[in-house]
Amino acid sequence: MKITICIGSACHLKGSREIIKEMQDLVAKNGLGDKVDLNGAFCSGNCVNGVCVTVDGELFSVQPENTKAFFEKEVMGRL
Amino acid sequence: MGVTVDVGYKSLNKFTEILCGDRVEILKTKDSDILILADGMGSGVKANILSTLTSKILGTMFLNGATLEECVDTIVETLPVCQVRQVAYSTFSILQVFNNGDAYLVEFDNPGCIFIRDGKLVEIPKNIREIDNKKINEFRFKVKRGDALILMSDGTIHAGVGQLLNFGWLWEDIAAYALKQYAVTVSAIRLATSICHACDELYMFRPGDDTTVACMRIIDSKPVNLMTGPASNKEDDEAMVAAFTADPAAKTIVCGGTSATIVSRVLKKRMDVSLDYVDPDIPPIAYMDGIDLVTEGVLTLNRVVQLLRRYNKKEAVAEDFFLELDKPNGASMVAKMIIEDCTEIHLFVGKAINSAYQNPSLPFDLGIRQNLVDQLKKALEEMGKPVTVTYY
Repeated sequence: MKITICIGSACHLKGSREIIKEMQDLVAKNGLGDKVDLNGAFCSGNCVNGVCVTVDGELFSVQPENTKAFFEKEVMGRL
Repeated sequence: MGVTVDVGYKSLNKFTEILCGDRVEILKTKDSDILILADGMGSGVKANILSTLTSKILGTMFLNGATLEECVDTIVETLPVCQVRQVAYSTFSILQVFNNGDAYLVEFDNPGCIFIRDGKLVEIPKNIREIDNKKINEFRFKVKRGDALILMSDGTIHAGVGQLLNFGWLWEDIAAYALKQYAVTVSAIRLATSICHACDELYMFRPGDDTTVACMRIIDSKPVNLMTGPASNKEDDEAMVAAFTADPAAKTIVCGGTSATIVSRVLKKRMDVSLDYVDPDIPPIAYMDGIDLVTEGVLTLNRVVQLLRRYNKKEAVAEDFFLELDKPNGASMVAKMIIEDCTEIHLFVGKAINSAYQNPSLPFDLGIRQNLVDQLKKALEEMGKPVTVTYY
């Protein structure tokens, strides 16, 4: 599964770093290193909401505080 | 063959002094580059005035084609006479390198110039001429690529005198150290700073005298092209990228996520965006074949401008500045390339406005690219790097 997290200027200011850190921890904690491929991305043009995250091409907006819920639903839920 | 030079210097003030008694002038004429180092007698205000007068007179007169005799005459006539010592005195060294490779070195009472070629020291022959009772050494030679020439004030050879070293840091030992540093540094400023830092250490960070090291390296011209911002007209994207990548000799930097995406699309090159937050305030960089450096836009450029400004305030440049430059975050990498690996820079600036950035809830005004580019240009000009800006 390929996940991209935008690190463009606007997303960075909205907390890309925290989200990346938490996702990396969650992937490690759940032993998903060989199933989930985390990548960076530049602006996908949807900067108005939260941080742009795509899961296999599908676009989501994520806030640092709901990263865990997002991960459980959209990542764990699809595996 | 056109000769390009990289010039940099670093001064330490005598401990407790606010002004430096050494003075460096860097000048460019139509066909040459001139580096002058003057060391005024004494320290503080008096020394500062003497060395400033000397270096300015030499610079202005050389620039206008005066002979060495005329210059020395003028200095002798002009310098105020010290009441205590009843002499008017400032040492000086002048190094002029012409675009055709001819070089002219004039030295009066400073420690001898350190001349490095092909990883070895070159001895500067004695050829003394007496002007107004001053013994002045002249040396005419040809430079070649890779040469480094280092001018110093006597604060260097006095470093540590009576404290860590009985007789100060001997010229031969400084030269040997310079040779070693020459091999591990790429730029004039870093070479000058490293020698100065060694002096500071020998003085145990309380310099007993003003200490200055000025360095000139003979290099290839190193153009850098920097692209930031998407073109205001989408149809111009291709032309912009084509111009940006036209010179195969130029290093290429893209600052901006959207700009990078455009370059990747036009060049049909894959881009890999890293997740590696080496600095919490600077977004990670990306990698693209054929482009030397890809970073985020305004936040990175903002930091770059801060770094260049710090560099322009010479007294703020010490070893710790270079440690900052060596960090692997996008802004340090851009600043390092501009400071140490660039002789001229061409900015390709897109004027498109990113509507998503017109968002008052963001903690930083992202719509300031234009403003940042102006500040960047100003900082670059202050560094003496020729800048061209093309807007799209």
